[in-house]
Amino acid sequence: MRLLQVSLRGSLLFSLMMILVSIPVSFFTIRALLNKEVDESIAAQADQFMQHIQSFEYLDDLETDLQVLDKLSSNIHITPSNGEIHTNYRTLTLYDSLDHEEKPYRRFESGVVIKGKPYKLVVRMSLLETNDLVKAIGLVQLAVSVILVAGLLFWNRFLSRRLWKPFYRTLEQLKAYELDKNEALPTEESGITEFNDLNKTVSHLAARNHEVFAQQKEFIENASHELQTPIAIFQSKLDMLMQSPSMTKDDADTIMELESTAQRMAKLNKNLLLLSRIDNEQFLSKEDIELSDLIENQIRILGSLAGPTQISITTRLEKLRIITNRTLLEVLVTNLLHNTVRHSPKGSEIIVEITGNRLTVSNSGSGQALDLEKMTRRFQKKSEDHNSMGLGLAIVKKICDNNNYLLAYTFKGGRHVFTVSFVV
Amino acid sequence: MKVLVIEDEKDLLQGILSALRQEGYVCEVAQSASEASEKAGLYDYDCILLDVNLPDGNGLKILREIKAKGKTDGIIIITARNSPDDKVAGLNLGADDYLAKPFYMPELIARVSAIIRRKRFEGNNLVTFHEITIDLPGKQARVNDTPLELTPMEFSLLVFLLANKNRVVSKNAIAEHLSGDDADLMDKYDFIYTHVKNLKKKLTEAGSKDYVKSVYGLGYKFMA
Repeated sequence: MRLLQVSLRGSLLFSLMMILVSIPVSFFTIRALLNKEVDESIAAQADQFMQHIQSFEYLDDLETDLQVLDKLSSNIHITPSNGEIHTNYRTLTLYDSLDHEEKPYRRFESGVVIKGKPYKLVVRMSLLETNDLVKAIGLVQLAVSVILVAGLLFWNRFLSRRLWKPFYRTLEQLKAYELDKNEALPTEESGITEFNDLNKTVSHLAARNHEVFAQQKEFIENASHELQTPIAIFQSKLDMLMQSPSMTKDDADTIMELESTAQRMAKLNKNLLLLSRIDNEQFLSKEDIELSDLIENQIRILGSLAGPTQISITTRLEKLRIITNRTLLEVLVTNLLHNTVRHSPKGSEIIVEITGNRLTVSNSGSGQALDLEKMTRRFQKKSEDHNSMGLGLAIVKKICDNNNYLLAYTFKGGRHVFTVSFVV
Repeated sequence: MKVLVIEDEKDLLQGILSALRQEGYVCEVAQSASEASEKAGLYDYDCILLDVNLPDGNGLKILREIKAKGKTDGIIIITARNSPDDKVAGLNLGADDYLAKPFYMPELIARVSAIIRRKRFEGNNLVTFHEITIDLPGKQARVNDTPLELTPMEFSLLVFLLANKNRVVSKNAIAEHLSGDDADLMDKYDFIYTHVKNLKKKLTEAGSKDYVKSVYGLGYKFMA
């Protein structure tokens, strides 16, 4: 879940809870307040009524008058009672015969004494208007709440976006950062101390990493260069030894072994240099190359060498033009082919195919799938063959990565299949 | 035939000189850029071996000087900086060949020999060794008057061995010369044995003496 969603979700949840709690609370509070108000008004009405009645106590037939009053009035009822009645207020719903509907009322009941006789006084008041009032207040409150929540959410979102913007920018930069390409991360002042700190730390880290990386690259290149001359000296001395007339058979064997070792060193060095040069992007010039021609040419050279191994190479080549660096493309194809030839058993068949933008090289080999990631790591040797440097596929991978080609490996029907998908 | 070797590494220089002298080249030496430009300016050489990285200057500067004087000395650049750009730069400046360190001595000698022949015997570039005659531009070889039917590999092999006559040439050097980077793909000793055997057979069948001697398992020596 994203950071903004989390904070938004938190405030949203809180707002909803507040609304849910506040609506019934305010409803009941308003209701109670209004009831109290109505009750007071009813009590005042009852008091007033009683005062009026008291002023008519001199009438003889007051009892009859009260009966008439009871019949005529709809909101005040007075009936003789025979027991003690506690003053009480109640809310009830009564049927209104005029409007043909149920209506809420507040009812006051109390015992009174008129001319020494006990009566039950009932005063009621319609709650219809107060109900409307409650409804109106409720609606207003709801509207205010909704606007408040929406505003809060909107504001929160807006603010968070603005606040976290430098953070997301840094994040994007980090995602796009490639150690071997970018030198440093550009930093922007965000006006927020924490983000500035973060940016500073991250860019410092990146710069430091890049520096180490560059140093390492330079070291490899320098080391490889510096090794060339000693190896050349070594080889020239071996050549001198070889020319000695007193050389014995044992000497010859030793010289041959030393020479092969020197050759291995030279080859290793050359490949390390090549990797380092690809890293340094020293192969920039690009041209339009017909891949099938290049492959046919390579296979022709290979064919004359692979003869004794009885490995046959079958080609199914469609035309495919690629705009890229010729040297690198040659290295890529050569290394792929060499790797395949080297790991093919005697008398097996290698199939080289171009379909669409894909080059596929496959060979039958030892019966288990290999791990491409491992194979393309530097110095990951599988074969016992000393001539294999463990750099061939690493170089292929490097070239593919640098050109956005996709290198894939599958093990299908006992065949190791390497596929390079080119960008045309 | 005079060769100027410009190289600051004493040990390597010694190896190069010893190999070249064995092939009958007269060698002069320059161990610094200043010494090199002085000698190259004063004398004419058939071939100049030029190390690009010198302690007191870049070899390419010397190359420019030589070319500016209109000299026709064949020039082979030797460098530890085996990069395509360097190679192109060197050849564009007028160098005849380019050799990256490390290299096999027989390879160097073959290159020197090829350049001297090209410079000296323009058009009529025939190499003769007793009854064997090789037409380099025509890629033809004869024993007396019998033409040899050689494969391109066998022809290269013959030229290579002949350039290094009287010296032991290792199988590794031959493999590298014939197949370059692909040398490590196959069992090179088998591969070379096959080619040498075929070459010897074709030579002797055409009436030549067997000049290709095997030196233990190490390599071959072309000698009378």
